Amino acid sequence: MKFNTDEIASVLREEIGRFESRIDVREVGRVLEVGDGIARVWGLSGVMAGEMVEFPGGITGLAFNLEENSVGVIILGDYLKVTEGDEVRSTGKLLSVPVGDAVIGRVLDPLGNPLDGKGPVVTDLRRPVETLAPGVAERQPVREPLQTGIKAIDAMTPVGRGQRELIIGDRKTGKTAIGIDAIINQKNSGVKCFYVAVGQKDSSVAVAIDTLRKYGAMDYTTVIVSGASTAAPLQYIAPYSGTAMAEHFMYNGQHALIVYDDLSKQATAYRQLSLLMRRPPGREAYPGDVFYAHSRLLERSAKLSKEKGGGSLTSLPIIETLEGEVSAYIPTNVISITDGQIYLQPDLFFAGQRPAMNAGISVSRVGGAAQTKAMKKVAGGLRLDLASFRELEAFAQLGTDLDAATQQRLDRGYRMVELLKQGQFAPMDTVDQVMSIYAGTRGHLDDVKREDVADWEKGFLTFVRDQIPELRRRIDESKELDAEGERQLEAAIAEYKRQRATKGSDSRQLAGAR
Amino acid sequence: MSSSTTSQTPARHAAGHGTGVDIGVERLAKVYAQAIIAAADKAGCRGQVLEELAGIVHDVLPKAPAAAGVFASPRITPEEKSAVIDRIFSGKLAPTTLNSLHVLARHERLGILPQVAAAAARLADEMEGLSQATITTAVPLDPAEQSRIVGEVEAAVGKRLAPTFVISPELIGGLVVRVADTVYDQSVATSLVRLRDRLKQRSIHEIQYGRDRLGTP
Repeated sequence: MKFNTDEIASVLREEIGRFESRIDVREVGRVLEVGDGIARVWGLSGVMAGEMVEFPGGITGLAFNLEENSVGVIILGDYLKVTEGDEVRSTGKLLSVPVGDAVIGRVLDPLGNPLDGKGPVVTDLRRPVETLAPGVAERQPVREPLQTGIKAIDAMTPVGRGQRELIIGDRKTGKTAIGIDAIINQKNSGVKCFYVAVGQKDSSVAVAIDTLRKYGAMDYTTVIVSGASTAAPLQYIAPYSGTAMAEHFMYNGQHALIVYDDLSKQATAYRQLSLLMRRPPGREAYPGDVFYAHSRLLERSAKLSKEKGGGSLTSLPIIETLEGEVSAYIPTNVISITDGQIYLQPDLFFAGQRPAMNAGISVSRVGGAAQTKAMKKVAGGLRLDLASFRELEAFAQLGTDLDAATQQRLDRGYRMVELLKQGQFAPMDTVDQVMSIYAGTRGHLDDVKREDVADWEKGFLTFVRDQIPELRRRIDESKELDAEGERQLEAAIAEYKRQRATKGSDSRQLAGAR
Repeated sequence: MSSSTTSQTPARHAAGHGTGVDIGVERLAKVYAQAIIAAADKAGCRGQVLEELAGIVHDVLPKAPAAAGVFASPRITPEEKSAVIDRIFSGKLAPTTLNSLHVLARHERLGILPQVAAAAARLADEMEGLSQATITTAVPLDPAEQSRIVGEVEAAVGKRLAPTFVISPELIGGLVVRVADTVYDQSVATSLVRLRDRLKQRSIHEIQYGRDRLGTP
């Protein structure tokens, strides 16, 4: 490839022609001490809180603490390159990140610098990292569903567009898997997805990115990575910069989904910063404003009013608990901020129920408003039924004789639990979900063996897809299950059961003949 | 500006512009400086007190390094320090200056006398509406040029200045004026850096927006 040298020379000439001696005015300070991602600066007397400052070598910082004689600055970048005595200059700007279509499909750091080796992010669009959440007049109630593709969630704790649904649980209970599945399921929904990895092992982030790529989700997803080895300031701002990128789509009338994985690590990073800055520690040594740090972040998820374009930003924050301790400081904070939580339990996880969601204490405060009519019809009461089943199950373990009605409820419960199990990276279509849950809640599975439920479901869905596509189309188009639809569904189940029985007896006969 | 300001400047600027600043000490020094200036104003001898303090810090202490050690040492009791002060300075200083030294001694703060003197000088300048200014050039300037530059800068920023002149060949040419925390930079070195950054930016821009335009197929 040969470069057109004339072009380059003309650019140079033009630049030198414009090389007028303009006075460079800047407000400066000097680094007094630096360490652990923060710097104390002497001078900068006119700097504003939250203003971006610049160290030599293009490293940026944020004015974090304004004190009588000095300014505490958090360093966003390699703080080992900043030394005592360095000149710090204020920029008069707020921290911003690139936004828009250029960031889609990229892996970025919290400042918007590419980490995926695919070259710079080419865009002129930028958005400040910290912005005010939309006010009450700019919002409208959450109504539209955001399908996660996970039966248990879409049926029992539905998530609406603009909702904040917390995913909470111990380590290794499948929290990230739910976030990733929800992203994968947005494939044809036009929802832009953002996965913010804060304080995660780089190896797990690599696995997540690889999974997203494998399932074609990177076409509409941006991954913002601030791994466990990056400095605390970057971990602290990562969720805010991810939100800024997602908000761009919300304010342009589109829909976005953001997964914060996870906010407990961000709170830890913020605690580190605050303690280094000598802000007074509060409960569990977190600073007094750690609640505000999360509330102002999650308030930015919203469903905008029609005048504002009707865009939405849905968030799925993740919180890791220790030994199921939901009453610790950060979990209670985030539970109270969000519009519901999906609670994952290790014992359910190890008992093979995946997603390991505890139906009893998982809720969605937006609830049925964000469900399609069909789903509302088949899944209403499912959550409470399952919760009472769990109680009954504990009681039944005492070994007492059970009356027929109780036994029947237990059997139904066991089958529903089986039905709600779902593999990872296998999000399910809403229509399929409606049909399987209908079969379960209406007792059509009561005569199927527990271990055959998954197989029955798979076969049934294939049967409907292949042999009665008009039923699927009907539910898909009207989004509801009217009397006629219900009648067709009943007929389909009956027909499938008949075919399954004959197939079963055929194979038995074959086995006998042999 | 006046000859007295120029003679004091190295110490004053050491506080703000050098490294190794102890914020705690600076804060403390400011408190003492405020008190000393208030007391001096009451006695009507601010100029004299400031000059004497500066004299002690710049002329007396450097000639007797042991004295600084005595002042800073916690092993010598405040009473002994007061006695030393009396023996050396009694009758030679204004009563306010002498009392200030005694107060510092009694509070075990004689060690921060240089910072107190600098803070007092800064405070006095501030009260008179003078701003600290450092004017850096690549080559030495003659006094006529210096006063012309100061005059022009004063007119431009609208403040009276207490200037210090520094020579730094790294600037290559031009002038850097620092008033308090604001830097007005017109040096050749900075302009070159800016030009380099702009060229780089421009090239990146060109390459990205017209990848095929720059390369011939």
